[in-house]
Amino acid sequence: MSEGSNPLKKILLYIDGSEAAITAAQFAIVVAKSYGSDLRAIYVVNADLLDELLKARVFVQMEKMDYERDLEEDGKRYLNYVVKLADRKGLKVETALRKGVVHEEVAKEVDSYGCDLLVQGELGEVLSLRDSFYEEGERILRKVKCPVMVARGRDRIEKTYEEL
Amino acid sequence: MKFADYVKPENIKLQLEGRTKEEVIEELVECLTESCCTDDADTILDAVMAREREGSTGLEKGVAIPHAKSDAVSKLSIVIGISKEGIDFDALDGKRSHLFFLMVAPTSESGPHVQAIAKIVKMIKIERFRERLLKAKSGEEVLETISMVENGEM
Repeated sequence: MSEGSNPLKKILLYIDGSEAAITAAQFAIVVAKSYGSDLRAIYVVNADLLDELLKARVFVQMEKMDYERDLEEDGKRYLNYVVKLADRKGLKVETALRKGVVHEEVAKEVDSYGCDLLVQGELGEVLSLRDSFYEEGERILRKVKCPVMVARGRDRIEKTYEEL
Repeated sequence: MKFADYVKPENIKLQLEGRTKEEVIEELVECLTESCCTDDADTILDAVMAREREGSTGLEKGVAIPHAKSDAVSKLSIVIGISKEGIDFDALDGKRSHLFFLMVAPTSESGPHVQAIAKIVKMIKIERFRERLLKAKSGEEVLETISMVENGEM
């Protein structure tokens, strides 16, 4: 495939620390490697949720800041793990650690990176419409302006990744 | 996260005996140490009490969410306690607290901890949820009520 006709020059991977996100990472690596795409992984510290808990008086200010730091550290750890997963397959990954409203930050990244595809993990188990408004994966699907691939089928994807 | 993964019937105290905030927290921590494979009750109690001193976790509508981070537990641990009479927990609205959700997580598990607290905050806004928990006659009934909310049936 010539570079000009490559439909997947840039892929953005959204991770959130779940097992589903690891599967998504493996799949994004497989696709990026197969298409010769650039890959960037993004993790967003859910500062919005922390603010809500502060507003609800469940958290005190110091505690909120403490959790924010923890989540930032978590994010770095998850992103490093993706870098290692990609490195194992000879692929370089850029990382982006953001803070804010998760789906809004991902949508911003989609625009600023100019990605051709967003890969994310299997959506959480949402059984009610009410819950779907709170599920970040669901919100991202509704918000971003690019094709989205939801990586389902952990065993199958893991096998594909290992065989790469 | 699903609560069923973290809360078992043995993590639920249907009739708290404590009459003060300190007694209730001690009782919840005791239940947590018995059911969550840790014997370091003092460390957990210190962490929860230290958090309370920063500001009461007694919210509105008779609900309190005492919580803390502590490496005395290996994973997010939750205990639910119910007091029909209610306890003076320095709640935001000045009313007595009836439903208690004690949550303790290791420092490395802040993500699930925050999610669990947020989920409880969402659940307790549902009046029927609170009412059903108060009337529950068994731990299984409490878990069933939580599942109903998680499954969108309430």
